[in-house]
Amino acid sequence: MPDLVASIAFGWATVLLLAGGVVLLRSRDALQRVLALDVLVAIVIALLTALSYLRDASYYIDAALALALLSFTATLVAARYVVRGRPF
Amino acid sequence: MGTVLDVVAAALLFGGLSLATIGLFGVLRMRDTFHQLHPAGLISGPALLLVLLAAIGTRSWAIVTSAALVFVFLLITSSLSNHAIANAARQRRLRDEDERERPAAVRP
Repeated sequence: MPDLVASIAFGWATVLLLAGGVVLLRSRDALQRVLALDVLVAIVIALLTALSYLRDASYYIDAALALALLSFTATLVAARYVVRGRPF
Repeated sequence: MGTVLDVVAAALLFGGLSLATIGLFGVLRMRDTFHQLHPAGLISGPALLLVLLAAIGTRSWAIVTSAALVFVFLLITSSLSNHAIANAARQRRLRDEDERERPAAVRP
């Protein structure tokens, strides 16, 4: 992949990350905050993938996989916690 | 062949990032959690999958296999986490409606 394409994608994902921060700041209740954090993690995964394409190194995508796993469990537990007052 | 692969990968990458931009705009515009779930699902689902599909442009097996792992994982988990949030929002709304109606029902 040409370096220019990966660089543009990396910069674009960084701008999206900033916009995701705005979404997190504008959310009004706990559930919307959980949703905004889920979106932020999705953008970080895209950012790590673009970084992996840019540097031609695969371990950034492995980090993205670990992040996706953590975010999945965190979202499930936080969504339960918002409703029940306890995670399980 | 190499140029075609590069063009396809760039199109997938920029297509995915465009979808993510549209989805983020949607999340910013919508006020209700249920309405926000739709654009949020666009980001964590199709947008990320397109970005990961662009791994074919790197021509590196290590990157393609890692991206395939994340691809399969996201196919399963993105819908599940969106369902968890929607379910929580629904249960909370039902509970709120229940609490709002209860005083009227108790009144003789």
